[in-house]
Amino acid sequence: MPVKSPFESSIAKPGQGTVVLSLLPPSNPTLTTLTYKYPLKLLTRTPGYVPQSSALSSPASPPVHLYLLTYGGGLLPGDHIDVSITLEPHTRMVVTTPQGSTKIFKTEGRQRGTLPLAKNISDKSRQSVDVRIGREAALCYLPDPSVPFATSRYEQLQTFTVDSTPASKPSTNTSSLCVLDWVTQGRSARGENWDFHLWRGKNEVWSEDQNTGARKLLLRDSLVLDGEVDELCLEAEDQTISSELIRERTLPHGVVGTLILYGPVFERLANFLMDRFTSQPRIGSRNWASPALGVEESAPNYESKVTFTAARVRAGFVLVKFGADEFETAKDWLGGILREEGTVFNEFGEEALFCL
Amino acid sequence: MIGKASVQVLEKEIADLEYRLHNAKSRLALASDSQSDSSNYLPLPEDAITSVIPTHALLLLSDSALPLGSFAYSSGLESYLAHNKPLPRSVTSVTSFHRFLKLSIASMASTSIPYVLAAFRQPEDLECLDNDLDASTPCVVAQRASIAQGRALIGVWERAFRGTYAADPFLVGSTAVEAIEAFSDLLKSSPLDTADALGPKGHFAPLWGVVCLAMGMDTRQTAYVFMLNHAKAVLSAAVRASVMGPYQAQSILASKGLQDMIADRIDHEWDTPVEDAGQIVPPLDLWMGRHELLYSRIFNS
Repeated sequence: MPVKSPFESSIAKPGQGTVVLSLLPPSNPTLTTLTYKYPLKLLTRTPGYVPQSSALSSPASPPVHLYLLTYGGGLLPGDHIDVSITLEPHTRMVVTTPQGSTKIFKTEGRQRGTLPLAKNISDKSRQSVDVRIGREAALCYLPDPSVPFATSRYEQLQTFTVDSTPASKPSTNTSSLCVLDWVTQGRSARGENWDFHLWRGKNEVWSEDQNTGARKLLLRDSLVLDGEVDELCLEAEDQTISSELIRERTLPHGVVGTLILYGPVFERLANFLMDRFTSQPRIGSRNWASPALGVEESAPNYESKVTFTAARVRAGFVLVKFGADEFETAKDWLGGILREEGTVFNEFGEEALFCL
Repeated sequence: MIGKASVQVLEKEIADLEYRLHNAKSRLALASDSQSDSSNYLPLPEDAITSVIPTHALLLLSDSALPLGSFAYSSGLESYLAHNKPLPRSVTSVTSFHRFLKLSIASMASTSIPYVLAAFRQPEDLECLDNDLDASTPCVVAQRASIAQGRALIGVWERAFRGTYAADPFLVGSTAVEAIEAFSDLLKSSPLDTADALGPKGHFAPLWGVVCLAMGMDTRQTAYVFMLNHAKAVLSAAVRASVMGPYQAQSILASKGLQDMIADRIDHEWDTPVEDAGQIVPPLDLWMGRHELLYSRIFNS
């Protein structure tokens, strides 16, 4: 029987990665599995940051930092990244993308009729991230925005599974997660303004009962920015064609995003954002007290240039949706709020805010 | 089960096509010999065919007097107007409204039509569809509007339509009737209005699909009337928000442009599975969510 090579990769498919984070006694987070294959690269680091205070009853374990990298800082047409992360009970993980942005490179034009067009169209880049979060474990996933280049096609599916096994103390044993997902208009410096062909992003949170295996969809946030250009392309043979549809549907924003908060660790942050939203000045309110001009409209009512909503949807989720004229504005706004409130810093350390 | 249902759907579609062919033929006959004999009227269709044609249910469900309370919702129009005030000099309020209507129809189709069609095609999945739509609606304002209209539709079914349509279900209606009854029981037995509860909610889109199936509508009509009712609600809100007058609203409603837009969006979502339904107009969620921040409001959404 041949001896198994110790250098052999345990996974065959390119772009696949697996991470398992376990907590070894007494309180020692350890990566029991870490594999990946080109074009995906996973780096980890344990900064040794011990959470200052915690919303959880049991002592918090030090967070482990996972860097999600791709060669070239983005995805080429046909690339398929497939990352599976498991957080065992009581662990904490910070996931960031230290490359400034996730670039979605453009789908190549047809080479003089050599490639059949059907293949060309299906040749989009894809990313799927599947995270399982155990009891009292917490995930903080604040990545860079996705920057789709002109005529690119991209699809991403991020699935988060939280443990809903019935327990004696139901309020404290749930998992926690904080997930940011944002997409920009493209390289605005090069004049790109929602010129890509497709960007489809889906974030799902499922609950799973470990005893019975029953799964239930708790939240699905699905954004489809589709230029609907397939038919046009077929006729025109011109890959550089871009449709006005996405631009029209995102006006007036240059970046749109969603922040999902769930679980006891982020409860304070969630309340903070809800307060911030509900205490915004009323739109169209008038200063009746002013004697001179009773009809004068109040000044522009959103701080800086960010339009946002925060809503407590079902199952205790708080969902923040925002839109801003450009990436920097949104980044400063969100980074400002998260730093001011302090939960992310206290529970995960400064590095969790690396991308903001 | 699935195979049987689709055969019946096809049978109904064939009956519908036959009726339309018959109708067109008789009109052709009328047109071709109208020169010779002008007293020849369109003959009455045969009874066997008319009984399958769900015209009566169609008229009931497309009636703006159907008590669903849709008039209370502007689907984000009121907030859109407030957010885009003052308008630039080059843009008139009607142009701005046209933009909203287009976005609103596209967004309603992409988020709801897959659920309407899925419920129509698989009425037994109603509970699951209701949960998934609830999970997929990120905006609480939209959620409230959808639930209120869905529950109103169940109310109308129970108090008005059930007597006629549950007693003598149409070809495919029996599974739909069972699905509505089961869901309605579920809705009554689960606690009301608890924020964290994950019980059945009663969202409008899937219930619309099932009720239309129970009343013998065909797939296309179900989706079309759903979208048309949405357009009507938005236009009615526009009239009441003084964007335009009632005649102008009616002319938009009657326009070929609106018909094509609705048909085009339905075609686009015809094969979309519910898992892929999603928001295609992200600012609409923002406008709708921020409706709560308006200083004065005349609508519930």
